[in-house]
Amino acid sequence: MTDKILSFLTERGCSVPRIGLLQPADPFLDTAGEDLRRRIFLTADQAGASLCLRPEFTIPVCLAHVADPREPARYAYAGTVFRQRRDEPAEFSQAGIEDLGDPDEAGADARSLADAMALLRHVAPAADWRVTLGDQAVFDAVIRALGLPDGWRKKLVRSFGSPEKVEGLLAALGAPRERANGLPPAISAALEAGEEPALRAAIAESMASLGFPAAVSRTPRDIAARMLEQAALDNARLGEDQIGELRDFLAIEVPLDRAGAALRAFSARLGGGMDRVLEAFEARVARIAELDVDISRIAYDAAFGRPLDYYSGLVFEIGLAGADRPVAGGGRYDRLLTLLGARQPIPGVGFSVWLDRLPIDRALKGDAA
Amino acid sequence: MSLTLALPSKGRLREQALEKMAAAGFPVTEPSDSRSYRARMEAEPGIEVAFLSASEIARELASGNLDLGVTGEDLVREAVADWQARMQVEARLGFGQADVIVAVPQVWYDVDTMADLEDVAAEFRSRHGRRLRIATKYWRMTQEFFSRTHGIQVYRIVESLGATEGAPASGQADVIVDITSTGSTLRANNLKVLDDGLILPSQACLVSSTGERSPADAALLARFAGAFAATA
Repeated sequence: MTDKILSFLTERGCSVPRIGLLQPADPFLDTAGEDLRRRIFLTADQAGASLCLRPEFTIPVCLAHVADPREPARYAYAGTVFRQRRDEPAEFSQAGIEDLGDPDEAGADARSLADAMALLRHVAPAADWRVTLGDQAVFDAVIRALGLPDGWRKKLVRSFGSPEKVEGLLAALGAPRERANGLPPAISAALEAGEEPALRAAIAESMASLGFPAAVSRTPRDIAARMLEQAALDNARLGEDQIGELRDFLAIEVPLDRAGAALRAFSARLGGGMDRVLEAFEARVARIAELDVDISRIAYDAAFGRPLDYYSGLVFEIGLAGADRPVAGGGRYDRLLTLLGARQPIPGVGFSVWLDRLPIDRALKGDAA
Repeated sequence: MSLTLALPSKGRLREQALEKMAAAGFPVTEPSDSRSYRARMEAEPGIEVAFLSASEIARELASGNLDLGVTGEDLVREAVADWQARMQVEARLGFGQADVIVAVPQVWYDVDTMADLEDVAAEFRSRHGRRLRIATKYWRMTQEFFSRTHGIQVYRIVESLGATEGAPASGQADVIVDITSTGSTLRANNLKVLDDGLILPSQACLVSSTGERSPADAALLARFAGAFAATA
């Protein structure tokens, strides 16, 4: 089956990189986070290096591109991946495309969504789909337009996609924070005076006397900067109206053909300032429509996102109508390739399909592979 | 009809476990050869006693090779992912108290809570070219606490099997998750516990493994465990 899927994807202009079953574990844990550790199959070689059975394809595909990034390219894959899961087998199949280096953001985004839908229709023609689309950049722009202080903006952007976390933050940011002041006198004085150089010097002195090397972890500069940032935040409070606006934004859920208008109306309420992001959003919708995708059947959900720091724009999820678990997930991850060692920023967008969750068409199932 | 009970083989934990057994009406007759790892209970010949290391007791309970054991709750929770499905804490025994905590360098004057630590973790990569590192021997509990309870995803665990408190000063890690009873080692290493950084107030527990048992064994286990629940 994977051979037939690969030939379908290469017909759409993709190349197929060789990705081994055994992968170095660090890139997965570094990017997706330690939470992945209990879900992958970890092992070690004789030299002690951590290896794992391939838990997904995106990161190895990106690493292969980072090693030789001269040309933008679309990479296809289909094969077995391994993850420890509660109710599903640990060994299962995934297929997808990663589109790396294409500067035409709207075009590449649209093509990724259209490719995902085409692949799903190809392997399971009889199924009925629901498609949800979100945009991390729009949320970021809303927070900027609301004029929140930097420290809070970053916190909110990080929790985007996790409704409980956003709710928790909104509650916390609306309440005053009491900070126990057990600071050494020199540091306390410099903080109160708001003098960064003095504060930094006092921290450096105390690090040296307590035996912490200044250059291997957080530096006096890092600590001083965040102390000043926090001191400013402690005196600020998120207003009722700002919280209300944010909640209203997160509640927006409309068919994609009406999403642009809904976001324009919301932006007007905030007094504008979101034009560049909204233009990009609308350009992407237009490009999706050009690819024969019925945009009235795609749901735009303003609260839909992924709380992973490398997702940067489009996110989408496709499920079988009436079922909870997604059968495909995709999105733009412009920050991922730098995390994986690329010297220059390389844009990327891609999707992945969980083949084992699909009612696979008989003709494809024919061969054993 | 027989059950296997494992007690800690060394030090204060062994002594206190033996005292507790006697106090609950199940005195253990210690082996005449002090190097032997087997013992008997005169009052209850149906229970065979073995002496094992505390961490081995947790693992053997998890795999169902023991019926009962006295060991630290921290080791029980760390032994396997689904520990509640395999083991049950019958009684907390009131000794061997120690807290599993999150500690950061004292000089992180801006970090008092897990929310502060989340900010630091999120920015760490862009400032230092690597993720925040946590030294610990409790990777399951660390993960559960950071990822599940506090939604912090971006950090790396550095497995540390000893002298974990020294890891921040030596540059091996930035923060630690470790066990502490008096806090003196933390203070000596200029570390501070986060306000909401208590992961588990641990102590010695009587733990049973779940699984099929004959009605007679099940009744014996219930009677034995009941004696501790009453004294705890």
